[in-house]
Amino acid sequence: MDMLTKEAIRYLGYGKHAVDDSTLALISDSFGNLEAAAGRKSIYRIFDLEQIADDKFIIGKAEIQSRNLGRNLRGCSKIVLFGATLGTGVDRLITRTSLTDMAKAVILQACAAAMLEEYCDECQRNIGRELEAEGLYLRPRFSPGYGDFDIRHQAVLMQMLDCAKHIGLTMTDSYMMTPTKSVTAVIGASATMEKCHIKGCESCGKKDCTYRRDTL
Amino acid sequence: MILDRLGKELLFFDGGMGTLLQAEGLKPGELPETWNITHADIITDIHKKYIESGSDIILTNTFGANALKFHDESCSLKEIVYTAVEHAKRAAGEAQTAERTIYTALDIGPTGKLLKPMGDLDFEDAYKTFSEVMIYGAQAGADLIHIETMSDTYELKAAVLAAKETTSLPVFVTTIFDERGKLLTGADVPAVVALLEGLRVDALGINCGLGPRQMLPILNQILQYTSLPVIVKPNAGLPKQIQGETCYDVLPQEFAATMQEVVNQGAAVIGGCCGTTPEHIKAMSELCRGMTPKPVVEKDITMVSSYGQSICLGQGSKIIGERINPTGKKRFKQALKEHDMDYILKEGITQQDQGAHILDVNVGLPDIDEAAMMVEVVEELQSVTSLPLQIDTVDTKAMEVALRIYNGKAMVNSVSGKQESMDAVFPLIQKYGGVVIGLTLDEEGIPETADGRAAVARRIITEAGKYGIHKKDIVIDVLAMTISSEPEGAKVTLEALKKVREGLGVNTVLGVSNISFGLPSRPVINSNFYTMAMLNGLSAGIINPSSGDMMKSYYAYHALMNLDSNCEKYISQYAGENPAAPFVSSGAAEMSLKAAIEKGLREEAHHITESLVKEQAPLDIINEHLIPALDYVGKGFEKGTVFLPQLLMSAEAAKAAFAILKESLPADSGEHEKKNKIILATVKGDIHDIGKNIVKVLLENYSFDVIDLGKDVAPELIVEKAKEEEVYLVGLSALMTTTVVSMEETITQLRKNVPDCKVMVGGAVLNQEYADMIGADFYGKDAMQSVYYAQDLFRKR
Repeated sequence: MDMLTKEAIRYLGYGKHAVDDSTLALISDSFGNLEAAAGRKSIYRIFDLEQIADDKFIIGKAEIQSRNLGRNLRGCSKIVLFGATLGTGVDRLITRTSLTDMAKAVILQACAAAMLEEYCDECQRNIGRELEAEGLYLRPRFSPGYGDFDIRHQAVLMQMLDCAKHIGLTMTDSYMMTPTKSVTAVIGASATMEKCHIKGCESCGKKDCTYRRDTL
Repeated sequence: MILDRLGKELLFFDGGMGTLLQAEGLKPGELPETWNITHADIITDIHKKYIESGSDIILTNTFGANALKFHDESCSLKEIVYTAVEHAKRAAGEAQTAERTIYTALDIGPTGKLLKPMGDLDFEDAYKTFSEVMIYGAQAGADLIHIETMSDTYELKAAVLAAKETTSLPVFVTTIFDERGKLLTGADVPAVVALLEGLRVDALGINCGLGPRQMLPILNQILQYTSLPVIVKPNAGLPKQIQGETCYDVLPQEFAATMQEVVNQGAAVIGGCCGTTPEHIKAMSELCRGMTPKPVVEKDITMVSSYGQSICLGQGSKIIGERINPTGKKRFKQALKEHDMDYILKEGITQQDQGAHILDVNVGLPDIDEAAMMVEVVEELQSVTSLPLQIDTVDTKAMEVALRIYNGKAMVNSVSGKQESMDAVFPLIQKYGGVVIGLTLDEEGIPETADGRAAVARRIITEAGKYGIHKKDIVIDVLAMTISSEPEGAKVTLEALKKVREGLGVNTVLGVSNISFGLPSRPVINSNFYTMAMLNGLSAGIINPSSGDMMKSYYAYHALMNLDSNCEKYISQYAGENPAAPFVSSGAAEMSLKAAIEKGLREEAHHITESLVKEQAPLDIINEHLIPALDYVGKGFEKGTVFLPQLLMSAEAAKAAFAILKESLPADSGEHEKKNKIILATVKGDIHDIGKNIVKVLLENYSFDVIDLGKDVAPELIVEKAKEEEVYLVGLSALMTTTVVSMEETITQLRKNVPDCKVMVGGAVLNQEYADMIGADFYGKDAMQSVYYAQDLFRKR
């Protein structure tokens, strides 16, 4: 079974249970539909990182306070601001499917989440390769809303990246991203290589989460 | 006036502003527009540099100046716009000579928000946001409005309407296409051209996103469709990150050389966008000055569009789905009266799946507010289908509101040859754009002869011309008359079709199925007449795409007339079709309904129920099969042996079985009234509704009557509905911490106004503690828990 399918199954809450054939068939079908509907776009910019306290740092004009992120960024001199989206087509596909087949809609939702993560990983690998040439190594990406990194910081991230103009990523007054299948994140870059996972599950404090990846 | 020169001589825009401001010290995250006040000299100086480099049109530093993006405490939006225009005008005034006029364009960028239904910005709020800036800009003395870098047709429409309605300035528009020639929200080139020409902008084109070389193929496409002068403003290549800086790699000379090709291809106004500098503009204007743009050619293409695609009439025949219409349909009337939006939307989706190209939308019923219903249906349809819509109404108020909020260039059904009708409809087409169906009838009725109908068509076309509406935007309906009462009806219609299509050179449309009224086996007559009509020049048939006979005629005609290359569509439609194949169950033939539902097999559940109702009473089937199956699956879900997708597949299978049983239940069994009502809503500010939809499917399975208020629902509306419908249970969903506040507010208002009503809540961020804190009666950790709570609650009552 490929990684994408495995991830989709995890998002559907199956844990270690076996998946029935009709669900598997719907998953494979869903990836096909999503491939046709998705318009993947991403953007990143690299800024100097000025850490003024363990839990406080400055990027351009923005001041950010977060203990969790501070730990993540310790020792970093640069910071990558990153935004990615699967586009409005995916939202429309899910809305439309919700009307006719709710089981499929739920599966599309999970598959889209897996697809988005895979895309972000791919983008991050490319950025990592580019920065390695300059002797910089990436930390795990960290999104507003993780731990004590306030979701409201999403606004400034999106403004600094000009996400709306470049990749069509915007947010509502309640800080929900639109299109909904989107990510904003920061990725620290330091001169020392540290053992690091690309993904965020392992760095999350919520150990009892149904969707937590099994890393043991 | 710039309009006197537009298209006749090559005009030059300026280049990038942001890059230059960054070089002067603008910090990341700082709003460039504040520099109009804090660094007035630098802004004026940049304008001067561009003028010296050869720009005829300079853009004010107002790209992000709108109330949604701009929240600076130190200065007002009005000050920002006024000073921006002043700086540009000062620079222009100093350089102006008798031989050289410099124009100041008020620069308008996107709001940075996504419009409803995908985002949370209301169309009219977007309109107001743009209007505010445009009014300031016009007052301050801008010569024209340049709307640029737009990536969504809906926002674009709001901006253009604002410019046209609140100012009298010329309007130039450029959008940001990707390399595939698509906007971010999906529109292709002809869809954008159709929309903008319908709204009567003065020039249109492309900016940002791509370098000059990558823009050539897009420009080529624009030129194929548009009858307006074209603007091209590329970036200086594609952005690259070098040492943390954004860089563009096309140097001035190379930029200029490619822009020369751009002009040779047909652009009439050229300039630069991100990464271009006064040096780029200088090189470009030196190389291209003196070139004359190619003359603009009027294109004779009938186009309608939606947010995501365009449909051109004239090649082959197109299908306009007729099913969204209450006429003669009891179930549809009921759906309109009960506000059953899901039913109406499914009619749209089904027609799209069956092959419709355009959907007719008629929601006229004597007892409903047609304008309000039309707006709602059009908005909702546009969130689930990308097919262009045909606004079908005799109520001009409903027509106007629908055309205003429609995301694209609509088809309009209809105008007639009656003066009164033309006086009412044409001004709307003139203002909002659209392709309008002209019915060949006038004050005297429907002419009996083909010549008579062609004469009415001619009058309609002439009258439309007075409003500047081109013939290509008129589609004539020569009217199909019932042959059982008019023996010559079909012959006259076919003759008229040919005369109108060939003689007047306009596209045609027909409501095909009228022809067989009162006859047996109507599909036979309809489908044969349909073929004859296509052969006589029918550009689009208003038909039922779910009718197999009609679709066979459609595919066969296109295959026969070499309009379906290699008969591909015909083959993909009918290859492998096994006539009259009986349904074969994928499992054992004797699978029980209970087993089919437990396994989540929708088709099987449907067919088994069909045969079962012949032997058993519906209520027995429910008690013996449906309820035990749902219980089994529900318990499995609780135990963790059945998972959400399976739970929902079973729910869908049960739903399919219920649908058949419902038909068999005696109409007056009173079952409908007995149902317990539950309101479901995703709270204000929250646009994520999948959780709520899951709960809805399950509650309906357990025969609750769910009143679904949708997403982003204001507390007041929930309270009002709860009161009006005397609802005893409300279910609220919220996804994020930022929207739980609205949930709490909704609960507070419900407590105050409908104290007896219980509230259950659910959603990703909630837990028992949080639910208690905001005063909910029940927290459902998953969808089944809500069902059990509801059952328990209503049992106790």
